[in-house]
Amino acid sequence: MPPSRWATSAEDDARLAKEKEEKRRRKAEKARKLEQQQKEAEAAAAVAAQNQPQDDEQSEQRPSKRRRLSPELDDDAPPKLLRFDAGGWSKSRSVENYDKLNDIEEGTYGWVARATDLTTGKVVALKRLKLEPNDRSGLPVTGLREIQILKDCRHRNIVSMEEVVVGDDTHRLDNSIFLVLEFVEHDLKSILEDMPEPFLSSEIKQILLQLTAGTAYLHANWILHRDLKTSNLLLNNRGQLKIADFGMARYVGDPPPAKLTSLVVTLWYRSPELLLGVKTYGAAVDMWSVGCIFGELLTREPLLQGKNEVDQMSKIFELCGVPTDESWPGFRRLPNARSLRLPKNTLTTGSVIRARFPNMTSAGAGLLNELLSLDPERRPTAKAMLQHEYFRQDPKPKPETMFPTFPSKAGQERRRRHEPHAPGRGEAASFGDADFTGILQGRDKEERGAGFSLRMV
Amino acid sequence: MAHLVNPLATPAQLYNLKSSSQLPDDLQEVVFTTTQCLTQAAGLLLELPQSTTAQASVLLARYWLVDSPMMHEFSDVSAAALFIVSKMGPLPQSARDIANVYAYLLSSQSPLLRAEKPTGDNPAEYYLSESDYYAFQNRILALEARILYALSFNTHVSLPHPLAITYLQTLDFLGLGDKKDISARVMQHLNTALLSPQMLYVTHQPHALATAAIYCAARDFGAKMPESAWWEVFDVDREELGFLVVGLMSVDNIMRKRREDMPWMNEGAVTRSKVEAEMKQRGLRVGNGTKRGNDEEDEVMRMMDSR
Repeated sequence: MPPSRWATSAEDDARLAKEKEEKRRRKAEKARKLEQQQKEAEAAAAVAAQNQPQDDEQSEQRPSKRRRLSPELDDDAPPKLLRFDAGGWSKSRSVENYDKLNDIEEGTYGWVARATDLTTGKVVALKRLKLEPNDRSGLPVTGLREIQILKDCRHRNIVSMEEVVVGDDTHRLDNSIFLVLEFVEHDLKSILEDMPEPFLSSEIKQILLQLTAGTAYLHANWILHRDLKTSNLLLNNRGQLKIADFGMARYVGDPPPAKLTSLVVTLWYRSPELLLGVKTYGAAVDMWSVGCIFGELLTREPLLQGKNEVDQMSKIFELCGVPTDESWPGFRRLPNARSLRLPKNTLTTGSVIRARFPNMTSAGAGLLNELLSLDPERRPTAKAMLQHEYFRQDPKPKPETMFPTFPSKAGQERRRRHEPHAPGRGEAASFGDADFTGILQGRDKEERGAGFSLRMV
Repeated sequence: MAHLVNPLATPAQLYNLKSSSQLPDDLQEVVFTTTQCLTQAAGLLLELPQSTTAQASVLLARYWLVDSPMMHEFSDVSAAALFIVSKMGPLPQSARDIANVYAYLLSSQSPLLRAEKPTGDNPAEYYLSESDYYAFQNRILALEARILYALSFNTHVSLPHPLAITYLQTLDFLGLGDKKDISARVMQHLNTALLSPQMLYVTHQPHALATAAIYCAARDFGAKMPESAWWEVFDVDREELGFLVVGLMSVDNIMRKRREDMPWMNEGAVTRSKVEAEMKQRGLRVGNGTKRGNDEEDEVMRMMDSR
């Protein structure tokens, strides 16, 4: 019988021994250095003590009788001025500073590869700035915005960008601009697709908490992500979630700009106001996506999988109920809402979220319900959501370090289910005379309220 | 914090500017100021907000501290900077619009940088043929990538204008009547500083520029200022303030003097060929030693243009 591929061979043993030896050597070296430093410090202290006059030492021990309470007004003292350093600028480095390990994916987001930094050995992800061939409008504005925003972001739940590097031919940079991103092992979408058991509710809480913390950071810095979805959320082997892909993101002000494109966010995660063609929107569009992701974490299936804009809208109404002037004041004035024909039946206006997630606590279902409010004004802000009862209830969010690990698939072939892409330019769809009157027929026959099932924590 | 500060030029970069372009100081100044005037004029004709145009001016200044100004035609760099900034902002401009505006500004019909206003109106002078437009677009797109590469893709620019408004409020200088004049003058000083050949926007932080502009405006109108060192409240020390005030006040004089020395400056936008002609006249070689690199660069640019 041939030996198993995994059996330790003599070679492995030798290598292990060598590594151990190396470790021991380094440890000894470190200890020696530390000792030397200590000695030096002691010597310096001794010298300092010798030079100091005796009476000085005494006065230090005895506090002065009167303490000065008001700040000293001394005109001669140099004023304390704040100084800010924002660094400088220089040419981008070459991509030759990195050594490619393997391709991660080649798809809608362009080419992404795993690579190591030749000088530090650090593993990074290289993402090529995708250029449309024969595009006469230059570098893609989505890519430039992503670079601009990632340069400004520093948060543990946002993928960090080290630098932008270019190919060696700096006179023709057309297809050789790369973003050097922090390498993260998994994306949430493939984990959800491949995991045999769903996440525990303590794990869901931790993931959602991190997503909310990242989103709160973005919103506090006036950034709308506008494409939150599970395939854009990365998870590393230490249980840390990172928001990625800022191709749709942009800076906004307060009040928000008067004319924003409503053609943002991947269809399944797109909020009802965007589907109805709103021109001025804010952080609430991201919160809707957070709600959709929350639902997806619970079921391992995207929550609202519409085939097109009209179908998406009816899926939303089926889950959240049909909007009324009370539940969403003013929705009738939105561009695509004028032609909507909605059922007049009062049975159709309530949300069935509770019924759809029967084994959730009322705090959890309440939060999901708030996130999936049709009226954007009623969705919680990310900052407020961090304080939600749901995160304080037992089971508590599982510590990141206790997270299960998954086999990293970056670089291997992976099964991908179809998912609509982030919208492109000029794809705006209008509803025309879509008829929604029939979508909720028979809903009154459905079972209401929570069933009973055992919950594992 | 990142929204209030700018990356600043290093002393080495400022020194390099002199050695790499091989231009005497006065020509260097002329090239910088007139090109920034061109950017401002183009921003006005494109009806861009001043914040967009000002950011383009700052990007251009930063770029010229990496690549020599003599490497590309000045007007092309100016147009590419506007193209980049407008693209990233809320009002993207098409290359076509930018091309038309620059064609006009560089034509003999434009009053820009001319002592005498051109007479008559001859649109044929600034008509842009399709092949000229195509070549222009090629140059702008190549420069877009080039500029971004030179700045390592950092296009963040903080402007002192909004800070100045806050400071004016603090000093109770914001309002109607005389106060309005002071606020307007502060903005004028800040916009003038964009043209300053001392490249004030890449050597000083926005808060210092805003403070200096307020100091100058208050002095212009004889407004009463606090007796104490009020600029320290805005984190500016006396020395920096003094330097900036002199810098702000001297732009006009410097340019007046240069125009007297070099009459060709009054005959429209300054181009590379005009600068080279002036160099020849002064008996200076256009580039010695290091210039060879630039020739290669030019060759590549020409190749790309004729694509």
